[in-house]
Amino acid sequence: GRGGFGAGRKVIVEPHRHEGIFICRGKEDALVTKNLVPGESVYGEKRISVEDGEVKTEYRAWNPFRSKIAAAILGGVDQIHIKPGVKVLYLGAASGTTVSHVSDVVGPEGLVYAVEFSHRSGRDLINVAKKRTNIIPVIEDARHPHKYRMLVGMVDVVFADVAQPDQTRIVALNAHNFLKNGGHFVISIKANCIDSTAAPEAVFAAEVKKMQQENMKPQEQLTLEPYERDHAVVVGIYRPPPKQKK
Amino acid sequence: MVLLHVLFEHAAGYALFAVKEVEEVGLLIPQVEETLLNVGKFNNIVKLAAFSPFKSAQSALENVNAISEGVLHEDLKLLLETHMPAKKKKALLGVADAKIGAAIQEELKIPCQTGGAVVEILRGIRLHFHSLVKGLTAQSASKAQLGLGHSYSRAKVKFNVNRVDNMII
Repeated sequence: GRGGFGAGRKVIVEPHRHEGIFICRGKEDALVTKNLVPGESVYGEKRISVEDGEVKTEYRAWNPFRSKIAAAILGGVDQIHIKPGVKVLYLGAASGTTVSHVSDVVGPEGLVYAVEFSHRSGRDLINVAKKRTNIIPVIEDARHPHKYRMLVGMVDVVFADVAQPDQTRIVALNAHNFLKNGGHFVISIKANCIDSTAAPEAVFAAEVKKMQQENMKPQEQLTLEPYERDHAVVVGIYRPPPKQKK
Repeated sequence: MVLLHVLFEHAAGYALFAVKEVEEVGLLIPQVEETLLNVGKFNNIVKLAAFSPFKSAQSALENVNAISEGVLHEDLKLLLETHMPAKKKKALLGVADAKIGAAIQEELKIPCQTGGAVVEILRGIRLHFHSLVKGLTAQSASKAQLGLGHSYSRAKVKFNVNRVDNMII
């Protein structure tokens, strides 16, 4: 409905440094994505319409407290790799709230393979996917990629938010099956879920080491403060192309 | 010499690929890795031997459920019986999952292999699948995945109505 973003006031939406993501300049700046299905909210998030002459574009607010990717972007991550036209394998899709924003970002030319194991969240995810044809729902255990190998193609990016002690292994298994050479991975790590006794920094370092053993080369790591506690996001490249000999 | 075939299961149907003859399957890895990014070069190593599309959405769903559980479905059995070379030759079938491999080996007596070079070949096929099979486009391939993803997931959620993970309040 109305309200939010200073109802009725003129707002300006500017492209973010990351392609396919936008910032809404109002009373307070907000991260937004271009709504793939104008006129509909997915989880009660606010929508903003911007008229530019004849063309009307609708954006949806992306809350960094509810989405690790939004938190990473506002935290200043250098590369997020999720952009228009790419294919994303999303592990731990939950109810599809963040997935809906990823679907906005990759747009009609892109694809999101959304894997979620819980049937309760899965139901919501399927409903989100019904309205957004670039989301392919996969209700299956991300630990067993061979179970859904018929449903998933090669992807440019693997994003994981599975909060499991063996999540790096889970991501590696999926990367070996579905991630292109030179493709990227973005992993959200919650220190508590891996080892609740060790210091978060030690947990992150141990996970990064595990990645290196799987041909996954971490390139960037940042914590999600102030949006999440003891969370880090690691971004990297899978099977990087061999360096040119000089 | 080993005559390696590779089975690729896609939402659109089953595909059987013949791999260039080599002394030893392990020797393939560097070649495959090198050609992975180029369809033309990849075509020199892997050739489509047979493709059997699913007849209906219903049959696709039955097949994906069978594959997911590592069960040999009638449709797949028929494809392998028709298109795998006679047993006299040393034929080997590369598969993605050891469980389906065991099922094929038991039922059809075709020796199966997983891992190593097979994984790399399957990566290549997955990447180029729509250009290796005639009449398939990148778009129609992902449309098949979309349709099957929905029906597979819906069935999963529905199948376990009694095992809902109830919210604990």
